[in-house]
Amino acid sequence: MSTAVSTVADRTAPSPLTGAWRAFTLQLALYKHIWHGTVFTSVLLPVLYMVSVGIGVGAYIDPASIGGLTYAEFIAPGLICSVAVMMLGNDMVFPVFGGYHEWGGHYLAQRATPLRPIDILNGHLAYSVIFRPFTNCTIVAIVMAFFGVYTSWWAALSVVAAALVSASLAPWLHFWASSLKNDANLNMIFRFAVMPISLFSGVFFPASEMPGFLQPLVWLSPLWHGTELARAATADVAPALWPAAHIAYLVALAVAGWFIARRVIQRRLNF
Amino acid sequence: MPIHNEILARAVDLRKSYGEHEAVRGVDFEILRGEAFGFLGANGAGKSTTMRMIGCVSQPTSGSLEVFGRDPRTEGAAIRARLGVVPQDNTLDGMLTVFENLVVYAGYFGIKKKDAREKAAELLDFVQLTPRAKDQVSELSGGMQRRLAIARSLINDPDLVILDEPTTGLDPQARHLVWERLFQLKQRGVSILLTTHYMDEAEQLCDRLVVMDEGRIIAAGSPRELIDTHVTKEVVELRFGPAHTTELAELSLTLTGVGAQIESLPDKILVYTDDADDTNAALDARDIRPTSMLARRATLEDVFLRLTGRALVEDET
Repeated sequence: MSTAVSTVADRTAPSPLTGAWRAFTLQLALYKHIWHGTVFTSVLLPVLYMVSVGIGVGAYIDPASIGGLTYAEFIAPGLICSVAVMMLGNDMVFPVFGGYHEWGGHYLAQRATPLRPIDILNGHLAYSVIFRPFTNCTIVAIVMAFFGVYTSWWAALSVVAAALVSASLAPWLHFWASSLKNDANLNMIFRFAVMPISLFSGVFFPASEMPGFLQPLVWLSPLWHGTELARAATADVAPALWPAAHIAYLVALAVAGWFIARRVIQRRLNF
Repeated sequence: MPIHNEILARAVDLRKSYGEHEAVRGVDFEILRGEAFGFLGANGAGKSTTMRMIGCVSQPTSGSLEVFGRDPRTEGAAIRARLGVVPQDNTLDGMLTVFENLVVYAGYFGIKKKDAREKAAELLDFVQLTPRAKDQVSELSGGMQRRLAIARSLINDPDLVILDEPTTGLDPQARHLVWERLFQLKQRGVSILLTTHYMDEAEQLCDRLVVMDEGRIIAAGSPRELIDTHVTKEVVELRFGPAHTTELAELSLTLTGVGAQIESLPDKILVYTDDADDTNAALDARDIRPTSMLARRATLEDVFLRLTGRALVEDET
C-alpha cells in the first residue's frame, strides 16, 4: 500500500543465511516473552541438583569409584549438557508442531513471505542449537563455577559440548514434531527420549557401570558423547573415545538429522 | 477499476492435482494492476488451491502461471517478497503483542526495525487498532485479529494483496468493518485478489471475478456483467407454507410462463423475471396465492444457482 510511510522492503529472494536470520528473529521476539521462565532451568534447577545430588548424595560416594573426582565435579558437566537436552524438549516439540497448525501457525505465516521452508528450518534450529546453548548453558556453566567444580578455563568448552548435543538432537526432534498429524503423542518424546537419555548417559554415574547389554544404547546417546567431552573440559579427564570421535558422531547425527528435517518441512510447507 | 493494463498474474490451463483428485482443472485468468479480482465459489471449488499457487506456496501440476512476469516454480521467494497475504486462519502469533506481530513480520521482508516501527504504527492506525498495540493478539476479538492480519499483509507495500475468505467466521458488524477497510484499500489503488463464498462480499468489493465450480471457471466478468448475462433483472421468491422439496417441484410446474425461468429450491420457488409487477399480475391471474412473496433484484447468488444448480450455502459446513 502506498502510504505516508513507505517501507524499504527487500524485493529479492534472501540468501540462505539472511533467510535463516530473518526466521530466527521470530524466536528472539518470543524469547523476550519467556526469558524469565528460563531462570528456573538455567539457575535454580542446576543449583538444586548440585546441592541435593552433587553435595548431598555425593557425600556417600567414594571419589575412587568415579575417577578420583568429587561427585559434584563428576555431575557438573553432564548437567550442563542435560540442560541443553531439556531446553530442546521445550523448543523443538510444541513450537514446531504448532508452526503448522492454526493454534501456532508461525511457519505458515513465514511461508507467505520471502522465507523458504529451509530458511524456516534453519532459523528455528539456529535458536535451539546456537542461541539457547550459548545463553542458557553458559549461565548454567557460570552457576556451576560457584561450586568450585572446574580445574581450568578450558571448562568454558563444556558449553560448546552442550551446543553439539543440541545440534545432534534438534533436527531429529524437528523432524519428529513435523511428522506428527495430531498433538496427542507430542508428550511421548519426553517419556521415551528426553527422560531416558538424561538418566542413562553417564551424567550421574559412569556409563561403564551400566549392564553390558545396555552399553550400546549408551554409545548411541548424544548426551553421553557430549558429557564425555564436557567432562574432559571441566575436569581434565580423558574421554571414553578420542575427542574427535565424539565430535564426529555428534556432527554426523546433526547433518543426517538436518537432511531428514529439511525433507519433511519442505513437504509440509508445499501444499 | 484497473488503473493500468499491466498484468500482475496470468494463468493458462492451470492445473493442480493431489494424487487422483484434481482440485484445479485447467483455469485461465489475468489479474490487472489496480483491480479487485475475486474467486467466487463454494467450499472445495478450487479457489483456495488456485490462490495458494498464486501465493507461491503450492506448485502447479501443469499449465502455465506467471506472477509479476515471473515463474512461481523457480522464483517463488522473489514473488512472495511483493505479495501481501491474509490467510483464512490469520496465523498471527498469539504470544506476541499486536505491535510486535507487525514488526517481526516486517523483518521477514528485510525491512529495517526503525522503518518497520513507523509502518506498523501507521497500519495500526489504518485498521483502527492503535489503542490495542500493546495487547497480546490472543486478547483480540476475531474481527480485530482479521484487521490485524490485513495490516500485516500491507507491511511490505505489496503489489498485490491476497485475501482468502477475509470475512468468514466474523459477525456482521466485524464483517462490515473489514469490508470498509478493504474498500479503502481499493480506493488507494491497491490491487486485491480475494476468494469468498459470500455473494454480497464479491459484489461489494470485486471489479471482476470468476465463478469456480469443481475446479473449473464457469463464468467470468464484473458482478454486473455476470448478472446481466446469466440471470434476469429481478427475482421473485415464493414460499408456500409448509410445502417442501417435492411439493414445490410440482407447484413450480404450474408456474410456467409467469417469468423467464422457474427454479425450485427445497424451501422456496424462484421466478426469474425482468419485471416483478408483471409476474405478480400473472400469479394473480392464475389465482396462485403463495404464503409469502418477495421481489428483489437479481444477485450473484442467483448467477451461481443458475450456473451450478446449487446454492452456495448448501456447501457451507
